[in-house]
Amino acid sequence: MRALRRAVTWFGLPVLLVLVWWLVSGGSFYLPDPLKVVRAFWDTWVSARAFEDVLPSLGRLLLGYVAATLLGVGLGVLVGLSPRLRATLEPVLEFFRAIPPPVLVPLLMLLAGIDTPMKVLVIVSGCVWPILLNTVEGVRALDEVLADTCRMYGVRGGSRLRRFVLRGASPQIMAGLRQALSIGIILMVISEMFASSSGLGFTIVLFQRQFQIAEMWSGILLLGLIGLALSFLFRLLERRVLSWYYGSGAARA
Amino acid sequence: MLEISELRKVYESPNRVVEAIRSLTFSVGEGELVCVVGPSGCGKTTLLRSIAGLLPVSGGEVRLAGSPVTGPPPRMAVVFQEYGRSLFPWMTVRQNVELPLKEKRVPPSRRAELVADSLEAVGLGDAADAHPWQLSGGMQQRVAIARAVAYEPQVLLMDEPFAAVDAQTRADLEDLILRLWRDLGVTTLFVTHDIDEAVYLGQRVIVLSSSPTVIMEDLKVDLPAERDQLTTRSLPRFGELRGHIYEQIQRAREAR
Repeated sequence: MRALRRAVTWFGLPVLLVLVWWLVSGGSFYLPDPLKVVRAFWDTWVSARAFEDVLPSLGRLLLGYVAATLLGVGLGVLVGLSPRLRATLEPVLEFFRAIPPPVLVPLLMLLAGIDTPMKVLVIVSGCVWPILLNTVEGVRALDEVLADTCRMYGVRGGSRLRRFVLRGASPQIMAGLRQALSIGIILMVISEMFASSSGLGFTIVLFQRQFQIAEMWSGILLLGLIGLALSFLFRLLERRVLSWYYGSGAARA
Repeated sequence: MLEISELRKVYESPNRVVEAIRSLTFSVGEGELVCVVGPSGCGKTTLLRSIAGLLPVSGGEVRLAGSPVTGPPPRMAVVFQEYGRSLFPWMTVRQNVELPLKEKRVPPSRRAELVADSLEAVGLGDAADAHPWQLSGGMQQRVAIARAVAYEPQVLLMDEPFAAVDAQTRADLEDLILRLWRDLGVTTLFVTHDIDEAVYLGQRVIVLSSSPTVIMEDLKVDLPAERDQLTTRSLPRFGELRGHIYEQIQRAREAR
């Protein structure tokens, strides 16, 4: 009985949405019914395309995301630890953050070409800000008593960085990484919609232009599933890294 | 062992100058346990942080074993009041106690021994793998004490360590401090706002005035060395000393 109720809570709404989709579809050429889309999904993505378009896209996403993490956390720690550096950089950072990353695509195309480097750069340019700014906040909010404890017991240098600064700021860093992940997925697709010859974003635009409507819809479905899978993986990671944070009740405070 | 001479601390901000400590001179002999009491807001924490080298002083100096203190000295340990914030929540109890020893480059086998012994000494031998937040407040403060003890300091500073625990736990922790102090003979400076606690624990009690702080009295506690929550606290002399210090602090308050 309880299992049934849980199943209804989890799957009730998705099933309902698919039913609604089914009802409203069919009339229009541009809105194929779910069955067609699922069939197109199978034919399109469970094929060589998975290696030619999906994996390279995900690879670029991973590369850009990791680079943005290193850059954002590294710079964020420096800025967070130094009030003077923060005062100097803050207006500039706010300015760069305010620029919507997609408008950088034409510029980066000129500077870095249209291949992988450009796409990775676009992802980095969008993902780095939430990571950077959250890291700065996290480092600034480090507990003073713990900082004194470190000083008293000779915890300094790399050890202080690893065992105190990064761990102490990790709740905020993880919050930044979570925001960056969804930004990264968006930019992965956008970067491929411009002057590209492979990738998920490119393929979806291609299907649209060739009136392969069911295939286009299946691409959107795939992106949704990828986003879901990534955020699930992220949650697993977060539970591990921040187990102390959730356990200590600091998350609720 | 610890000499404080004409220590002065003034907090300066652009539109305000606050003289927290006017002038303090006293010393703590090797192996002594000295308590510092004073009315609230008299700069006890400022004093302790200055002695620990965590706060630059405005005048005078602190000397530890003859050499001036300019930053946290390597053989000094502090137990802070805020036990909940002085332990690393992402580390287990064992890792918390072990961390300073790692930084001191104590070899692993000796390290394990020190950690086990100190946790045993504070009665937390079986909590080594717990995280601090899984323990009660009193137990967390025991972990902080174990960390200080394992560090094998020359001088142990305690900043109102039991201000935030309940009365029962507090009595237990006071006896724990006395036992550790007797066993290890470590020079201890114990800051508190609790007069009873100061008389019960100290060989000497230093009574501070309100801010700007000076010493009102440096009082020798002439109670038997063997202390016990029940008998010591019911000695007539205990009551006299307590009353005397209470009067001093009352006077300090009124003088403000």
